Amino acid sequence: MVRVKSRYLLCEVNVSDRSRLLLLDDRAVAATVKAAVARIHGDYGAALCSIRFSVKYLNAHTGIVFLRFPKKCYRLLWSALPFITCIETRGQKISCFLNCLHVGGTMRTCQKFLIRYNTQQLHRMLPKCKNEEEKQQVQKAILNCSLTGRNKEAFEEESESEEDEEE
Amino acid sequence: MSVFMDLNVNYTADKSRLQSLIETAAHLGFSTVAINYVFEPTAKKKQEIPSPTPISELMDSLPVVQGRSRPIRVLNRLTIVMSDASHFRPTAVEYRRYDLLAVQPTTEKLFHAACMIYDVDIICISVTEKLPFFFKRAPVNGAIERGLVFEVSYSAAIRDSTMRRYTIANAVCLMETCKGKSVILSSAAEKPLELRGPYDITNLGLLFGLSEGEAKEAVSSTCRSVVLHAETRKTASGIVHTVKSCSQSAPADCEAPPAKRARSQLTE
Repeated sequence: MVRVKSRYLLCEVNVSDRSRLLLLDDRAVAATVKAAVARIHGDYGAALCSIRFSVKYLNAHTGIVFLRFPKKCYRLLWSALPFITCIETRGQKISCFLNCLHVGGTMRTCQKFLIRYNTQQLHRMLPKCKNEEEKQQVQKAILNCSLTGRNKEAFEEESESEEDEEE
Repeated sequence: MSVFMDLNVNYTADKSRLQSLIETAAHLGFSTVAINYVFEPTAKKKQEIPSPTPISELMDSLPVVQGRSRPIRVLNRLTIVMSDASHFRPTAVEYRRYDLLAVQPTTEKLFHAACMIYDVDIICISVTEKLPFFFKRAPVNGAIERGLVFEVSYSAAIRDSTMRRYTIANAVCLMETCKGKSVILSSAAEKPLELRGPYDITNLGLLFGLSEGEAKEAVSSTCRSVVLHAETRKTASGIVHTVKSCSQSAPADCEAPPAKRARSQLTE
């Protein structure tokens, strides 16, 4: 059996004001990426970007995006991503930049990486907590993700939802 | 594990903006950043070289780097934009206060001198205008042999489409001559949103004519070698380091040759 090979880019949308992340939707991100590729690589890039490109996953709370590109030309398409400066959604311009965290061959490996990354973010958050209550919440979240024998999706949901509360 | 560095973050008088720049860099995974002070001498009157703000004054506590447990390292860097040979004063005391020293030559003659003679670490390539001269093999090879590096900054390319063309054209021109060796990619960012992640920059090297491995070196190992080169610039052949001590008259400022200086330290 031969399967169609793709590359999944796990990107983080970085903004100065985190509350504006909630405005994001996947269609806006897809349109922005397509426009950037067309701007940098012209018609050739736009054509490549129309083949199998899609936004597979978007977490508006943490600003995590999964982008799927064809394996053959993902480097070319990726080289257009640094030139994104803003995402236009619902008539508003959110100035931001995409930071690629991981490149994977399957969604599964990306998800594994993301879980580890989000746990790491919780650890980074711990020293920044201002009061005791926040601290306990984060500690609980860290404990939850280091427990074994539970459904992996549940981990991810949990660690992410905790993160939202903090920020 | 490779360590990423961004050796050009523009200095702004706005303290909070500089702080958020450094914080963003730490979040992206850069373990070293250099704050860049640009000095552009004009022909008419003599200007003073800006003195760097101490890091401890700038930030109370340095943020921890993403994925590591160490705080970010912040260096000071001076860039001299040269349009005349007299602009670079090799013996100036002001230069010693900076960790890194860079020049941006604007004429071919100065470029040649910068590559072959001047005691600097980085040679900046202008990215905001059409290249005023061609890169010749001889000076570029000389610079690589002496351990200098060429810097291409990418934030101008992000801001504007015309600048993007100049940046890519100049960078490709440089890569043809130096074959991808001794090149660093840095941001020259003024705002936190102009920084990019290390993996994005590595891939951006593709547009600048670098191969995958060379591009990765341009953000990691070449940067490290520049920082080490800068450290050895202040010492005698990279072996002996002199420190001025209060009690005895240490030969800190005497112009003795390196070998002699080493012996006098040993006998004391």
